[in-house]
Amino acid sequence: MILTRREFGKVLAAAPLAAGAAQQQRLLYSINGVGIGLETFSFHDLPPAADPRLIPTIISNMREIGIGECEIMSGHIEPWPTIATGWWVQSRRAPGFQQLREDARRWRLSVPMSYYANIRKQFEDAGLRIYLYNVNFNETFTDEERDKTFEAAKALGAAGFSSSTVISEARRLVPFVERHKMFVAMHNHNNLVDPDQFATPQSFETALALSPYFKATLDIGHFVAGNNDPVAFIRKHHDRTVNIHVRDRKRNNGPNRPFGQGDTPIAEVLRLIRDQKYPIRCYLEYEYGSFRSSVDEVKTCLDYCRRVLA
Amino acid sequence: MPGLLPPRAGIVLIAVFAVAAPGDAQAPRGKADAGGLPAPTPELERGRAVYVLSSCHFCHGVDLTGAQMGATDLMHSPLIAADQNGNVIGPVVRAGKPNLQTAMPSYPDLTSQEIADLAAYVHYLRRQGRYRELTMDGDDQGDARAGETYFNANCAACHSKSGDLTGVAAKYGGAALRARVLRPSDDRAPTGTDRTAVGRLQHGKLLERYAPADVRNLISFLRER
Repeated sequence: MILTRREFGKVLAAAPLAAGAAQQQRLLYSINGVGIGLETFSFHDLPPAADPRLIPTIISNMREIGIGECEIMSGHIEPWPTIATGWWVQSRRAPGFQQLREDARRWRLSVPMSYYANIRKQFEDAGLRIYLYNVNFNETFTDEERDKTFEAAKALGAAGFSSSTVISEARRLVPFVERHKMFVAMHNHNNLVDPDQFATPQSFETALALSPYFKATLDIGHFVAGNNDPVAFIRKHHDRTVNIHVRDRKRNNGPNRPFGQGDTPIAEVLRLIRDQKYPIRCYLEYEYGSFRSSVDEVKTCLDYCRRVLA
Repeated sequence: MPGLLPPRAGIVLIAVFAVAAPGDAQAPRGKADAGGLPAPTPELERGRAVYVLSSCHFCHGVDLTGAQMGATDLMHSPLIAADQNGNVIGPVVRAGKPNLQTAMPSYPDLTSQEIADLAAYVHYLRRQGRYRELTMDGDDQGDARAGETYFNANCAACHSKSGDLTGVAAKYGGAALRARVLRPSDDRAPTGTDRTAVGRLQHGKLLERYAPADVRNLISFLRER
């Protein structure tokens, strides 16, 4: 599941062929050789978890925007609110959390793989691809649950995971990535206080040293908010970076801003990836405030990327 | 309310309780956008703009319900209950919370006016939400003695069961009495210094702080002959 540069080019070229002839002309997979996709977190106005309109709305949104590939959140796949994953430590103290977490675990262990395969089919029928399954592995997972989650990613057709996780959980995941031969790309935030969090180059390097199946999903906005340099990171770790989350934040834990208005060197990063032909996918993540719809704002984000990659 | 009101404010509170319509008059009007429904006044709409354009709604919800990603439930947060005109909200928003698992961003560039507008809007959302939540309770079987204690501590400076509230339980039955207790007047913009505004402000603060049992107990006390 780990792609060389040549294989990456083939995937980008072949992806539209998988779609219907009418669809392939409208869907975008790359701009000047730079792989483009989106993180489904960008859609803030979706129906709630378990709503039968959820997946069709994501598909409809992606087609309206014209982007063909995504990293999909587990909260958009599993019929549970995202706090049921146990990732947010604060949420573990919420009333009813333990029951919710236990119900979600029971569901994960019993749901047939056809559930995930059906979602994959809906995407593929629309000419879309789920490239990464975003699951936030954490200490509330049992080993059996971790195994099932890897099986789920395969059934979705994902190449691997993106994961907001912690270093201690990465250590637990080593035998799972080795056994399933599937990568987990660590996603960073910008908590510089907790040394278990992914936020600095050192935290990534600690995980990358644990297994060749560990990769990076570098969120360049959060990285800058933590006063780190994404350009330097990508130059050093381009061979272990699966994708980046493209967002614009201010330094010093500053806010999300519309693309081009924060401190994140989006243009420099995208051009570096283009010019060096790094096989790094660039996934849009919309999270700045707006009164407009998520679809409209993701289109604006995409327009910005088109301009800087022109 | 003792200690919080200027002299003679109680007279105004009595008037507010007695004559104003219950709160559905302040339901927002207009078409929803990605930041929720438009606010009912220009002042609150300014606050909504700060709330939405700072992307507070992505984590705390467009109406303070459905807090996501481990964000604080602002509908029930004691910090929001303690806030007065942004004196608690402002420092938190400006500094952010970098030590949270996914770090709440800081907003150091917000002006004092923007913080005040933001705080007013958050309190407005909270009153709206608490009103909905507490009117859905439906259980009016409380502890009248506990209600009397609450009344004496929080209401007696302005109201008297044998004075302005004589017969109130007979006049309003069930849900209507509960609605009167929760929101005796339109408090969409409880600003200003006049006596009516002060009364609205105090009732708004109580609405933000009531526990469900407080309301049940108060209703039981008011119904007691």
